Amino acid sequence: MSHEHACLHAKSSSAGSLAHSFDRPTFWPVSQLSTRLRSRTSISITLLALLALVASTGCGSTPQPEHAAPAAHNPTRGGEIVTSIRSEPQTFNRHSGRDTSTNLVALLTQARLVRINQATQQLEPALAESWTTSADGLTVTMALRRGVVFSDGQPFTSADVVFSFAVAYDPKSASQLADSIQALGKNLTVAAVDDHTVTIAFPVPFAPGLRILDVLPILPRHKLEAAAKAGTFAKAWGLTTPLEEMAGLGPFVLSNYQPGQRLIFSRNPHYYGKAADGTELPYLDRIVVEVIPDQNAEVLRLESGQLDMMTSEISLDAYAPLKRAADQGRLTLLDLGVSPNADALWFNLKPGAFAGDPRAAWIQRDELRRAISLAVDRKAIADTVFLGAGVPVFGAETPGNTQWYWTATPETPHDPAAARQLLASIGLTDRNGDGMLEDARNAPVRFTLITQKGRPNYERAAAIVREDLKKIGVAVDVAALDVSQVIDAFYTKQKYDAVIYNAIKTDIDPGTNPDFWFSSGSAHVWNLRQKTPATDWEKRIDELMARQIASRDEGERHQLYDEVQKIFAEHLPMIYFVAPRVYVAHSTRVLNVTPAVARPQLLWRPDTVAAVH
Amino acid sequence: MTRYVARRLAFAGLLVVCVSSASFLLARLAPGDFFTESIAAGGNPEALARARARFGLDKSIAAHYRDWLASAVRFDFGDSMLYDRPVRGLIAERAANTAVLAVTALALATAIGLPLGVFAGSRRGGLLPGAIRAASLLLLSMPPLLTSLLLVFIAARTGWFPIAGMRSASAAPSGVTLDLIRHLVVPSLAIGLPLAAMLERLQAQAMSDVIGEPFVLAALARGVPRRRVVWRDALKAALRPIAGVYGLIVGTVLSGSFAVEVITAWPGLGALMLQALRARDVYLVAGCAAAGALFLAVGTLASDLALALVDPRASEGAAAAEAA
Repeated sequence: MSHEHACLHAKSSSAGSLAHSFDRPTFWPVSQLSTRLRSRTSISITLLALLALVASTGCGSTPQPEHAAPAAHNPTRGGEIVTSIRSEPQTFNRHSGRDTSTNLVALLTQARLVRINQATQQLEPALAESWTTSADGLTVTMALRRGVVFSDGQPFTSADVVFSFAVAYDPKSASQLADSIQALGKNLTVAAVDDHTVTIAFPVPFAPGLRILDVLPILPRHKLEAAAKAGTFAKAWGLTTPLEEMAGLGPFVLSNYQPGQRLIFSRNPHYYGKAADGTELPYLDRIVVEVIPDQNAEVLRLESGQLDMMTSEISLDAYAPLKRAADQGRLTLLDLGVSPNADALWFNLKPGAFAGDPRAAWIQRDELRRAISLAVDRKAIADTVFLGAGVPVFGAETPGNTQWYWTATPETPHDPAAARQLLASIGLTDRNGDGMLEDARNAPVRFTLITQKGRPNYERAAAIVREDLKKIGVAVDVAALDVSQVIDAFYTKQKYDAVIYNAIKTDIDPGTNPDFWFSSGSAHVWNLRQKTPATDWEKRIDELMARQIASRDEGERHQLYDEVQKIFAEHLPMIYFVAPRVYVAHSTRVLNVTPAVARPQLLWRPDTVAAVH
Repeated sequence: MTRYVARRLAFAGLLVVCVSSASFLLARLAPGDFFTESIAAGGNPEALARARARFGLDKSIAAHYRDWLASAVRFDFGDSMLYDRPVRGLIAERAANTAVLAVTALALATAIGLPLGVFAGSRRGGLLPGAIRAASLLLLSMPPLLTSLLLVFIAARTGWFPIAGMRSASAAPSGVTLDLIRHLVVPSLAIGLPLAAMLERLQAQAMSDVIGEPFVLAALARGVPRRRVVWRDALKAALRPIAGVYGLIVGTVLSGSFAVEVITAWPGLGALMLQALRARDVYLVAGCAAAGALFLAVGTLASDLALALVDPRASEGAAAAEAA
């Protein structure tokens, strides 16, 4: 199915110019300062100049950067781009680190059998040139590219594929990817037919099929087999590993790592990829990845031309200055559309979680969640939290997931009066005339909403929820905690009333998120790892999702998932409010990017990115 | 004097142990740990359980602390969970970067603050001393966080200096020093300017006290040029109070200016500590805290020794106190 949501809203500013300032002259050397201190007049001039400088820059007088118009818009080989990450990778071994920086390293230096085109969501060949599926859909035979070699010159064969799966599934490897490449919790069976053919057998019918292989880097057996045999694979390719000991099949090799500062990736001369016109990929000679922990500094560097792009979306606070830079032709600002992920509020629905608590009579009731959905003004959240760049969400999927979003999702109106009526129906009324509701025991209707501190999206949304619920007589105590405390509360200890957080799904295909949907799942956050479904509607979702994941009929899969979303919207185990729009920006010297909503939005296909040089 | 130094060194050691132990225990006592977020993000529970065990997070806090302390006394602070490498090496790497920044900022602050303080303190009234005082008060009222944001903003708008980092990716080997100096401008000014303002105010106050002393008036009455009296005789006497607080300044700056390092992406101890705290990397938190405390203790000790050299009464006082 064709899918182009990521590009629909993309817009380009007028062709701009290069704002690169690495070589600008330094005209305020420290030595001048001491020279100037020799005379009293000079001291005054220095101080006044400093103050004037502050004042003038504060007033927004922007010196024009040195412009150099792009010579051509067709991508050609050569040049470099500078991008950024907020923190260093934890390791160079993708199996040992789940952080986005480690993922970026793997994306640049390793290749996979197949790749999900993040812009179209279609599966594309990568190291596997083609594949055929058996009649029962359980076995896939993949033809590997011939003549492919690792960055160290060693040939790539099916043995590397078998090794990569084996090492991921080996418990001694402690691989973070093991779960992601399983079908309903069971390992795939991978076998080499010959040097250039492998078979992949699924243990159960599994509709997402090869999509799950998008995460698995194919590693060099000749480099890592010894570590795997010695049981030290988890520690292999750490940050202190000499760079020449690593090899990959990706478009770049890590050629320089300056701890705390940057990673430099150079062209892999053996990379297999070619452009449609036969040009050997990657286009770029180099990608420099700067470590910039502070987002403000990151945006300023992008704005001033010292960065070509970021590896994540821009925060909405940064939109205005980057829009100005885009209007001046220094940047290209792209609206990638609605995010498929949204923050959500959910209650602790674990049976017995409120045993002995007088609130047990009402805090886990569907009516309470439906009332909250009616009472909270989603538009206010979109305007306040996302500065207008968000769309209301009423179900499990956002409109950003155009493939699987149920278009008939009922839209809950902002209706505080209806919310009050709904609460009255479960005995929550204002019994003492103070404007706040009390339950049948005359106890106030009150709960604690935890969220992560330091995350403005969560904190602002929690504040709006508190204010909106106060208007219908429900008291909410917001507690902003450290991320680990929040997760400890709702995940490890499961002792909480309600939480605002984000349960990000790994892929837009619901079949790849069984842990979220199945009542037995470890990401079924409102009531984790149930032995048997706690409610009838969860039991029904289990049944529907089991069929949805097993079905090979796309139409049937959609029908089943629509029904799942309908049940979800009725019972609201998670209340979604707003999904943000995703914006990214890059310098006008960057060419040939294919933007996508998923991170890294501009660099998910690094081999085809080019730059004016 | 030797006993005095020995006692100070012992105190420094105690300070390091206390600070790092407190950091370790606080990081362990807070709910959750380094791996909590990974679990919620869908990490393999068995793999994470093994990782927890490897880093001792499955032990009781008391047992974990005892094991860590036993290693720490041998200068083995454990492996960072964040970077999966020994904390000691990481700390040494980043502490060197912090030291470069701190020494530059201190030199800058001293070079700016002291002369301006002498000048402003030796004058009664006048436009220029007033302007200096006003500028100092302005800078003093601005926290380094704000100063660094302002300087980064100026650097971004003007393009005069690099906004962030310690070295350019494209710096030629011959221009490495110049490249480092260019990168130092923004962070060292961000730390150094408020310090310069503080030194200026302290020095001006001390100088204005000294300038009315009889020995200064006598020198002036004897016809010694005012400039010579101020910059030689009065300055020497007015330096004592500055030397007294200099150690604290040295220690504070060396122990890391978190905000400045984060905003300017300076790969130092402060940025590392912040990262460690956010990630709940217990070993790294304790290691960074130990390094910070060590810097503070050494800075204070060096300053006290310098003060003793400038003003022998200080060391006599210390010796007397010790004897008592």
